[in-house]
Amino acid sequence: MLIKNNSHKLLSGRFRGRAVAYLLAVLLLVLMSYYLPRLLPGDFVTAMYSGSPVTLTGEQEAELRAHYAAGDSLGHYLVNLFFLDWGFSFAFLTPVSSLILAALPWTLFLVGGAHLLSTLLGFIAGVEAAWRRGAVEKGLVAVMTFLEGIPEMGTGVLLLLLFSLYLGWFPAAGGETAYAGYSLPRWCLDVLHHTALPFITLVGAYLPGSFLLARGGMVVVLHSPFIKTARAKGLPPLRVRYGHAARNALLPVVTRFGLRFAFMLTGALVVESIYSYPGLGTLLFKAISLRDLPTIRAIVLFSSLLVLVINMALEVLYERLDPRVQHEL
Amino acid sequence: MKYCFRISAFITIAALIMLAGIPAQGASGQRELRIADGTGDWGYPNPFGHYPRGPGYIRMSWVFDTLVWKDQKGYIPALADSWKYDPAAMTFTFHLNPRAKWHDGKQVTAEDVVFTIGYYRKHPYRFIKTTGIGAVSAKGARTVLIKLAKPYAPFLSDIGGTMPILPKHVWESVADPEKYLDPKAFIGSGPYQFRDFDKTGGSYLYEAFPDYYQGPPQVERLIYVRSGKPLISLTTGEADLANIQPEMGESLVKKGVKVISDERGWVKKLLINHHKKPLSDKRFRQALAYLIDQKEIVEQGHRGFATLASYGLLSIDHDMYNPGTPTYLYDLQKASRLIEALGFKRGKDGFFQKDGKKLKLALLSSNIAAGGESVADRDGEIIKRQLEKGGIAVELVNMEQATTDGRIKKWDFELAISGHGGISGDPVILNEMISSVYGGGSVTSARYDDNAALNKLLEKSLVEMDQVKRKEIVYQIQKIYAQELPAIPLYYPQTKAAYNPRKGVDWFYTKGGIAKGIPLPQNKLSLIKR
Repeated sequence: MLIKNNSHKLLSGRFRGRAVAYLLAVLLLVLMSYYLPRLLPGDFVTAMYSGSPVTLTGEQEAELRAHYAAGDSLGHYLVNLFFLDWGFSFAFLTPVSSLILAALPWTLFLVGGAHLLSTLLGFIAGVEAAWRRGAVEKGLVAVMTFLEGIPEMGTGVLLLLLFSLYLGWFPAAGGETAYAGYSLPRWCLDVLHHTALPFITLVGAYLPGSFLLARGGMVVVLHSPFIKTARAKGLPPLRVRYGHAARNALLPVVTRFGLRFAFMLTGALVVESIYSYPGLGTLLFKAISLRDLPTIRAIVLFSSLLVLVINMALEVLYERLDPRVQHEL
Repeated sequence: MKYCFRISAFITIAALIMLAGIPAQGASGQRELRIADGTGDWGYPNPFGHYPRGPGYIRMSWVFDTLVWKDQKGYIPALADSWKYDPAAMTFTFHLNPRAKWHDGKQVTAEDVVFTIGYYRKHPYRFIKTTGIGAVSAKGARTVLIKLAKPYAPFLSDIGGTMPILPKHVWESVADPEKYLDPKAFIGSGPYQFRDFDKTGGSYLYEAFPDYYQGPPQVERLIYVRSGKPLISLTTGEADLANIQPEMGESLVKKGVKVISDERGWVKKLLINHHKKPLSDKRFRQALAYLIDQKEIVEQGHRGFATLASYGLLSIDHDMYNPGTPTYLYDLQKASRLIEALGFKRGKDGFFQKDGKKLKLALLSSNIAAGGESVADRDGEIIKRQLEKGGIAVELVNMEQATTDGRIKKWDFELAISGHGGISGDPVILNEMISSVYGGGSVTSARYDDNAALNKLLEKSLVEMDQVKRKEIVYQIQKIYAQELPAIPLYYPQTKAAYNPRKGVDWFYTKGGIAKGIPLPQNKLSLIKR
């Protein structure tokens, strides 16, 4: 009973410790999201009016600068955040939360989908390759290592030139045909049509890493005594492969999945830009080039909070996947 | 497992083939036109919502009309059927078109024009300056009298042809116009009614206004789409009009696309920090001009798709361009003599030095290009090589546009590559791009006030309403500018657009640019039967 009570106290103490650490991290992120974008050289007025047919006088410029500086203090920012107000975009003249909500589904669909599929395919292919070892496996490793070295930008531009410019099979830009007035099924097809090239680009970028990690992990695990035992017991190969071996090779793949997932909101900036895809990456790129501080702040904070949440989720998932992790904590 | 792979591969390939067969363009039954640009989002299309950039103004111009407008030749009637200027009374009189209506069906009246000017005085619209306007009054329902506080030569360009007229019945109760985004905020008197703006997608939808006073527009739906690769969008049929890189023109013509070129209305120039020594000495700036070989930049950096710029800043296509403007043909010796006259001597390494210090300048470079676009070029590298050949060491700093502009604004630079349009429009651009009185808040202006004679001429050119006399003044300004060289004009890049002629619309570039000088071919007159 005494042992049970102590264990309970230990657990709740550990939980409190974690909660405090995460809370501090949130506070730090909020402060950094306010101060870091301010360090960017240039400001909204200069960025907005450079290259404009409007030539500002010194007074007009000072007036505009004062206008945008008003209400942009840290105090305002914190109070607004407390009331879940993410700010008002200088450039888009819209609450930033509505901008994020409009862009988020596109990013989740493209990057989340590509990420999920590439991890799944990469993992299965990695497990199968390690199990079957031979010429095909070696060939696959060589191909995947080569693909891992090609940047998304290279694949993106190549696919665009080949399938859009020369063959004309896929559209060059956007997430859908704007204002086409399609029925729902036709709209779904249209979205898939627009998403195909950026999706393939991302899958091509993410899959090799998952494959190599899974294969590497499996090769080590397959030599373990417990696998030999499982085989000796006459368990079906599929169960040995996935129920025993792959489960133990899963941890690095999950880590990679989690980290990539956390950065996916802004990580696909290059691909989104190439294909003019209406996601968060494009939104952030635009906000940075215009020095739209409220929008930059909100996206930075949103993404970093997501990193934190994913980190928390990974900790829980690790404990479930590998009980050793729980003891080491 | 093997079968699973095969089935997945088969499904994937089948899906891709199926998707590839889907046409890229819309399937609307109405006649529509799609315009592509690389940025997409340019703000809400009303005077207080659009970005203060050319493409933002254009998106607004479909919805809101001005008193006068421009075509390929010059000013033509818009909301005002006719107009005249009375020099004695310093008053412009505009007679409004009796057929002009707002999108909600109400009549456009002289009161709306009077209200608009008053409203912009209270809530400035940055494309126009109302400071030179005196009393404004309505005479009956269709006549507006605008008295000037003092003669103002660019009135038609800056106000008459640029100021969007607002409906009084909508805006008179609006206290904070920037936050007013009600559907009524988009009631204008232009040929198109605003229907939707997708901020994240960067697309706009307009529909023809059937009661437009110049007749219903030719195309029912006008759509703007964002495309990072407008050229590809043109060839795939996703877009019907887009700006293109000049070198792509020939290949597009072969595909049945029509290519049009603008006059030389945009200039790339070298900004100079004339507050810093030795750049503050005009002899040194002249030496720089002799060392920079414009021809080499055009030929090597732009494969000939550009024209050498006049050192007087105004476009060589301008009616007031002075052909007698001083020039600086590449001359190493002349440059050396000018630099030596400032006390510099050639060191053993070939670079000039003074008091034991090597003559070294930092050059900021970025990708600024016409029409709000960003295009990578090699101008910085070429200028660095040319100056170093002439004995000036150069540190080339490549940065993104906003960072470069931020440093220029704070005078935290020595040399910077920059550019702007408007040089084929009203000569007021000279005031804005030279004097700090007019361009003190701009990063493309030289903000140069050191020459009293030049300042005086700039002032005089603004109040001279006689175009012949104004031309004389503008001639002198260009001459002095070319001697002083507060910034060195480099070249005029070729500006081209391409469109699908099968849509039955002939797009054109406007003389002097749209409104204040926007170098884009999206003039609303293209869609109006004339």
